[in-house]
Amino acid sequence: MSNIVVADKNSLTLVCVTETGPTTYTLETAADLAGIHPEMLRYYCRFGFFGDIGATPETELVFNDDAIYQLRRFEHYRRNNRVSRKTLRLIFSLWRDIDLLQTELRYLRDS
Amino acid sequence: MPVEFKDYYVTLGVSRTASDDEIKKAFRKLARKYHPDVAKDKKLGEEKFKEINEAHEVLSDPIKRKQYDELGPDWKERSAHQRPYGQQPGRNGSSRRQQGDDFHFEGTGFSDFFEQMFGGRGRSGFSPQGGETDSELFGQSHGSTPGRDIEGDILVTLDETVNGAVRELSLQSNDPRNGQAKTHHIKVRIPAGIHEGQRIRVPGKGGEGSDQALPGDLYLRVRLAAHPDFRVRGADLFYDLDLAPWEGVLGTTVKVPTLKGHVNLRIPPGTNNGLQLRIPKHGLPKGKTQDPGDLFVVVDVQLPKKTNEEERILWEKLSSISTFKPRSES
Repeated sequence: MSNIVVADKNSLTLVCVTETGPTTYTLETAADLAGIHPEMLRYYCRFGFFGDIGATPETELVFNDDAIYQLRRFEHYRRNNRVSRKTLRLIFSLWRDIDLLQTELRYLRDS
Repeated sequence: MPVEFKDYYVTLGVSRTASDDEIKKAFRKLARKYHPDVAKDKKLGEEKFKEINEAHEVLSDPIKRKQYDELGPDWKERSAHQRPYGQQPGRNGSSRRQQGDDFHFEGTGFSDFFEQMFGGRGRSGFSPQGGETDSELFGQSHGSTPGRDIEGDILVTLDETVNGAVRELSLQSNDPRNGQAKTHHIKVRIPAGIHEGQRIRVPGKGGEGSDQALPGDLYLRVRLAAHPDFRVRGADLFYDLDLAPWEGVLGTTVKVPTLKGHVNLRIPPGTNNGLQLRIPKHGLPKGKTQDPGDLFVVVDVQLPKKTNEEERILWEKLSSISTFKPRSES
């Protein structure tokens, strides 16, 4: 379920307050939001492009807002900038490492 | 509206030459006073807490502090040349002009000054559906080009990550057709269990699509507000507990703050400096399951800086009778 239902005409936003945890998406919804076929998303996951985005061993692949963001960004660079999947995998892996290191740095600075 | 310069040193009440330790201490002192949970005037407390956090965010980071310190009366011109990564003119400027997307957020917890100097406000992002799509390759069609996704930062307190919250933001953008500014008021749900660096997706609040196509999404990157007592690593919290040397040696029971109130923690005899004591399930909720992380109490044995005559005699007596040898004899 999406976290926000937008009634756009008057910039009104209805908020679903019954749900407390982060929003999650099925593989089909995530693929639709990224503009790719579900089989392509399965392929990405199988080959480790998006290995750590919320898949649980006991259920089918599950995606969060962060994953949707990454996926859309991935597709943007692939299509509009003609960056190969192999290169994108490397770039995304480096971005992930940078994010982790920045978070760790913030923690260490507060120590 | 003109962007107002923020004097972060004044905000924290420290000198421009203050050490990292002095900045940390000043932040903690003020954060304890103005934390929304304890401030008498909640509204004022919230505002002050955000200001203090912003000042701490800049001054505790050596790179940001250096960049800030180099600002002078011409800071606006300088900042134009020092835009954060992703906002360099020309890097994605063409796409921004093409769409006329120039976004401005309010209510994210960061001031305009911070956003201009250090933030990622209104990063005009990307549109995943351009050119030939995989959906088309696989037999689906999505039609016209949707609007671009945009990004911004949002300051979130630890309490909001525990309980979730609803925040009101205003998003101003320029209409590409007539150049007029439009303001959207949106309510954003901060889900419980959200962590530092994660993004919250607000569907349909990005750039407008062409030819009646769907608009892009707005992505808000979570920046956790520094807490006066706790440090955060993933879903775990860390609390530094100062102990007297004899408390470490003999053991004691101390009151430790948690996000749910205080708990009594037994410190076992022989507790060494740096030891981490785990209080299970007193951390932040994790993801969809909402299982809480742990709270780690990190022991920091403090030595007295000054001793009076009586204390000195007792330390000397201890020194003469103790069998403890901190260094191995080689």
